[in-house]
Amino acid sequence: MLGMESASIAIVWLLTVLSAVGCVVYGAMMWNKGGH
Amino acid sequence: MNMAVLIPLCIVYIGIMSGLAYYGYKKTTTKQDYLVGGRNINPVVMALSYGATFISTSALVGFGGAGSIFGMGLLWLAFLNIALGIFVAFAIFGTRIRKLSLKLDVSTFPSLLGKRFDSKFITVFAGAMIFIFMPAYTSIVLIGGGRFLQESLSLNFNVALFVLAAIVALYVISGGIKAVMYTDAFGAVIMLVGMMVFLVVTYNAVGGIVDGHAALSAMKNMVPDSLAAGGHQGWTSMPVLGSPLWWTLVSTIIMGVGIGVLAQPQLAMRCMTVKDDRALYRSVLIGGIFIFFMTGAAFMIGPLSNVYFMETSNQLAITAAGGNSDLVIPKFINEVMPGWFIYLFTLTLMSAAISTVSSLIHLQASAFGEDIMRTLGIGKDGKTMTRIGVLVGVTAAIILAYILPGGVIARATAFWFGICAAGFLPTLMGALFWKGATKAGAIASIVTGFAVSIFGFLFMHVSESGVFGLSKALFGKDALFAFPWTHIDPLFYALPLSAIVFVAVSVLDKSKSVSGDVEQEAIAK
Repeated sequence: MLGMESASIAIVWLLTVLSAVGCVVYGAMMWNKGGH
Repeated sequence: MNMAVLIPLCIVYIGIMSGLAYYGYKKTTTKQDYLVGGRNINPVVMALSYGATFISTSALVGFGGAGSIFGMGLLWLAFLNIALGIFVAFAIFGTRIRKLSLKLDVSTFPSLLGKRFDSKFITVFAGAMIFIFMPAYTSIVLIGGGRFLQESLSLNFNVALFVLAAIVALYVISGGIKAVMYTDAFGAVIMLVGMMVFLVVTYNAVGGIVDGHAALSAMKNMVPDSLAAGGHQGWTSMPVLGSPLWWTLVSTIIMGVGIGVLAQPQLAMRCMTVKDDRALYRSVLIGGIFIFFMTGAAFMIGPLSNVYFMETSNQLAITAAGGNSDLVIPKFINEVMPGWFIYLFTLTLMSAAISTVSSLIHLQASAFGEDIMRTLGIGKDGKTMTRIGVLVGVTAAIILAYILPGGVIARATAFWFGICAAGFLPTLMGALFWKGATKAGAIASIVTGFAVSIFGFLFMHVSESGVFGLSKALFGKDALFAFPWTHIDPLFYALPLSAIVFVAVSVLDKSKSVSGDVEQEAIAK
């Protein structure tokens, strides 16, 4: 998968990318929440 | 590199940094400004400053080099850095740290724990741990920056070290956390651009994402015998379960640094510098992108450099770098990147060093002036003492850089992250999430965490105990127990033990403090 020898490495590569994307989505969704 | 380009570039860079530090100085009037930026720092600046403090030169160059040896399994650390170090740290821990610090009216990490449990001992003890053990971590970052300036600018190493230390001391003394955070944010933008370009060019050089990974997978029969004997199974597989390499990867690099980040005082205190939860939510967006392009990119570029070196010179990256993993990334940049990038990367590494050192010095200074001296009633406002703390911290880091053996300095980061996690994390979590936590539980946990982890580093974990030499001097051997104890990071047993002690003592403690209820209600809103 993704050219990786082991599936666990392919998964962690994806997790790393997706966690960064997740941070962007979360930050955008919460952009105006929790104000003063 | 062309000095006629590099030197003017560095002068412009230092000029901009000094301008930002001066702006921070002009905006700093109260002690709140000096310690927590008046609790009104822009969330983008906060997130960039947090990231730049998190990432030092050793993280970019050292992690990339480690990746060229260990392979892509290190991406577990990058994932934890983003998931725990950014999302959990800001959205879950950070929001509560901010509210609790506001409610207790505290501006430092040791004071937050001390006041939450109504214990001057905790404040002074935590401040002392920072003040005693952090200079070694500061000096490794300082040495990394100094060595790098020595190579890139052909400066004498002693001059480079002093110039770096003097610049940082000036920023921190004059402008406090505002000068630190503004200069951090500028440095972080340079770091972000540099690493983004580096990652894209690397994937392009090895034929794209899937083809690059496949080429790396196809190299698994080229693993050096010494690494294969330790459990290495190729650069796109994890090491053999339970092998020495597996323990090193999982316990030190992934767990130690991955979990340790949550209890880093210089990072946790960043959450006190913004005005509301909204700022912390916004910081998640910036922080996630930043850390992905730092540790994530370093752990992708390092392993993939093997593909490039194998295709171009029929050797592994570590061989091309003459066996020194710290030289893999500089060597790879010289081979694969365009000429102008070398200048950008020079500023990237300079930013990484300055941003981390300035934050560590600010933390040490506030631990000295605010947490230790003011709590003990020495020095009225803490401000003068904090500025004296800057000078003491910088001086200690420089002295340690010269007197500690290279091997000890190299282990300072793992040591610092390990003792912080074991000593602070259970108490921090208790302070933020558990109203049943008591003063006695917190004190017992902090003392247990620091004592057990320091014992482990001195007598059990061979990569530190071997270079410290205390175990050898007292017991005639580098480590007291056999494998796997020699390869298990002390954090692995000190942190659970510290957590168990915290819960057990709190539950059994008859003199329950009621203050926890009030605080929990205030920060859980």
